[in-house]
Amino acid sequence: MRGRISLFGWAELLAVVVLACGFLVPMYTRSVLVYSVLNQAFIGFIAAQSVWIMLRMNLLSFATPAFMAIGGYTVAIAGQYDITNAFVVTIGAFLLPALVAIPLGALVLRLRGTYFVLVTFVLSEIMQLLLFETPALTGGSNGISGVPPVTLLGVDMASNRQVLQFCCGLAILATVITGALTRFFRQHFAAIEENEILAESLGLVVWRFKALGFVVSAGVAGLAGFALVSMLLTAHPSSFASATAVDFIAYTIVGGRASILGPLVGAGGLVYATNLFGTHGQYAQGLYGVLILVVVLVARGGVVGTIASLAGRWKGRP
Amino acid sequence: MAEFLQAVIIGLSLGAQYALLALGFTLIFGILGVVNFAHGGFYMLGGYVAYSCVAYAGLPYPLAVLAAVLAAGALGWVFELFLLEPLVDDHLATLMLTLGLYLVLSTGMLTIFGPLAMEFRFPVSGALHLGPIYVPQENLIVMAICLAALAALWTVLYRTDLGRGLRALADDRAVAMAQGLRPKLLFPMAFALATGLAGLTGALVTPILALSPGVGDPVLATSFLTVILGGLGSLEGAAVAAFTVGLVEAFCSVYFGGSIGALILFVLVLLLLVFRPTGLMGRTVRGA
Amino acid sequence: MTDLRVDSLSKRFGGLRVFQDISFDLPSGGLLGVIGPNGAGKTTLINVISGRQMASGGRVVLGDRDITNQPAYAISRLGLARSFQQTNTFKSVTVAENVARAVRFGRRSAPAGLSAMLVDFGLAPRQQEIADKLPYGLQKILGLVMAFAISPRILLLDEPAAGLERNERKIVDAFVHRVRESGTSVLIVEHDMDLIRRLCPRILVLDAGTLLADGPPAEVLARPDVIAAYLGEEAA
Repeated sequence: MRGRISLFGWAELLAVVVLACGFLVPMYTRSVLVYSVLNQAFIGFIAAQSVWIMLRMNLLSFATPAFMAIGGYTVAIAGQYDITNAFVVTIGAFLLPALVAIPLGALVLRLRGTYFVLVTFVLSEIMQLLLFETPALTGGSNGISGVPPVTLLGVDMASNRQVLQFCCGLAILATVITGALTRFFRQHFAAIEENEILAESLGLVVWRFKALGFVVSAGVAGLAGFALVSMLLTAHPSSFASATAVDFIAYTIVGGRASILGPLVGAGGLVYATNLFGTHGQYAQGLYGVLILVVVLVARGGVVGTIASLAGRWKGRP
Repeated sequence: MAEFLQAVIIGLSLGAQYALLALGFTLIFGILGVVNFAHGGFYMLGGYVAYSCVAYAGLPYPLAVLAAVLAAGALGWVFELFLLEPLVDDHLATLMLTLGLYLVLSTGMLTIFGPLAMEFRFPVSGALHLGPIYVPQENLIVMAICLAALAALWTVLYRTDLGRGLRALADDRAVAMAQGLRPKLLFPMAFALATGLAGLTGALVTPILALSPGVGDPVLATSFLTVILGGLGSLEGAAVAAFTVGLVEAFCSVYFGGSIGALILFVLVLLLLVFRPTGLMGRTVRGA
Repeated sequence: MTDLRVDSLSKRFGGLRVFQDISFDLPSGGLLGVIGPNGAGKTTLINVISGRQMASGGRVVLGDRDITNQPAYAISRLGLARSFQQTNTFKSVTVAENVARAVRFGRRSAPAGLSAMLVDFGLAPRQQEIADKLPYGLQKILGLVMAFAISPRILLLDEPAAGLERNERKIVDAFVHRVRESGTSVLIVEHDMDLIRRLCPRILVLDAGTLLADGPPAEVLARPDVIAAYLGEEAA
């Protein structure tokens, strides 16, 4: 049923190469619209990877916006203290969400997978409240505006071109982290995805791998929040609305969950499609809904999985 | 004292609403093993159907509520039978299907009715003054209907063969099937029953609170909190937890104001998961 | 010396009693058969002992450690492995990868007889085939071999012969003998009475969640209440 594809390492490589093309875009165009769509696609792809890591183990995470908020606000608050060094804030944007995820993962991931779904969903709702209820730290409903651009090797990442290229760099970093994790523990993740009960009865401490995945997934989401804040130069609760969790899930499922190319294709395609709606962006979720239904009912591998299995069938012909 | 009693009444009223939602959600999870992300969607649908019946068809409100129940139940029945049924044992797939349905439903309502909140008023207004306590009549009516629905649901589940069958399926599907129960028949019925209850709650509550395409999300979040608190799959737990959630929310809003209640509940749920992961009345939760 | 001691173990689901007050010992190196009509709670017994499901009461002691309600991975790491009634392998990967995962997850070195087992049971030439593509019998046997691959002290087998052809059932006999040669104790839940008679010097009979009998098969199977329990099943 499920599109089986054997992508050994080159999927990650291909993703990085495609992303790296983003560095070259400013050579061809200065269109603000193109830059904006590309930025959104980069951010969407980073966030979708955080969903994808958990989907490797059959877990659907709605917590991405919550961890994005932690990462994004970390950067914004650091900016208030004039900490703008790109390396420092990148590490902070990754580590803080990851730290928050440790106790939460240890708590929830020992339980049935359903608890994970429910708790992550509620977490994103709660994060919104937290942002509003802690004005001293997060600026409450005003958020934090005027976040200074990060500085990379002494250069301010201030212009549109620099912001784009920096987001591109973050997307590549996220891909490398995600790729390294899922490659290194490929057998464990695959065993959990396919037959968790058997894996556990053979002695695999399933919840620890899930928790590890969750921690990295939270860190990667933090990077997405960082990218978002560095694009908008503000951190505002509305940027991390819990409803956006569904967008990232849609990117991942529609693109295909079997390889890292899935979230890449999904994020790129759906961000582009959403922009076609123009000012009627709120209708995009209906499209996502229909696409999710279609994928689950008729094209289990998503776009990438379906293409791969079609290609496999075509190749298999005499 | 008046404040205290007021909070109790609000809390019980909220609790009754949450119980209807959470019981439906738990019923679906317990019997089908499906996490129904569309549950908030059926609540919203109930609200819009009732609104349309009143505003466009000129039906009296009680009939509009009935129509909402039937519409939500019918959609639930069809959705279960044709989309969920073939994949019912694939938990991730069914979860994504209900998520997809929810997105389609809320975008559908957005397209038809627009993004703004509807002018949907409860037909009865005014308040009851019981000494120093002030209770809006509409809340009392909603609470009464919700409690009646809960009693009816309890009767169905615990006093009829259908209910016994449903509970047996929720307890252990394999054993229940070995004893001759037919999930093919009971699954869509259980799903329709639960979504009908969500529709009922939506039709009753949206005129008091608000009716807009976004109302499903907080409903879903509250249902989730409730079922975790009560223990996934436990009907008694869901009922007890629903009233707990209602009372905590009411007391927090009366004494602290704002959204602190939801935060407190979330912390409560996390603490519960640390010390008693089975929920208030739940069973085994470990592992897959 | 006792390897596994089960002490008035019981399991309920909601109001439903699956089994109650089950006690028995499995001596070191021993072999014990468990029989009983459908729905007698045999599989649930294995699930509760191996940590898949929580006990409602009683104790399970492995060696001198109380393992009641420990997580499945912990019990597995303490040396108690189990097989599953339905075929249970990682279906999308090769036979070799399945065995390798079992050894890796078990975190001990592969047991001495493992490669000989693969050869004798016909899995060796199909090492590179995807598990899902194997004939049903071989998938089932692969599942048994994987449970053995984590070098357990005790192995619980849940209907190892169910779904196998007559001639394939011989392999279950051979598997059990091999496992016992390596010093592992075995508990078999099985429907195939011939297999139980052939293999087990001692059997337990479960009926409606209670322990009806415990003793040598010839003696136990002649008891009128045991016969009644089975006749009851045929009549049903």
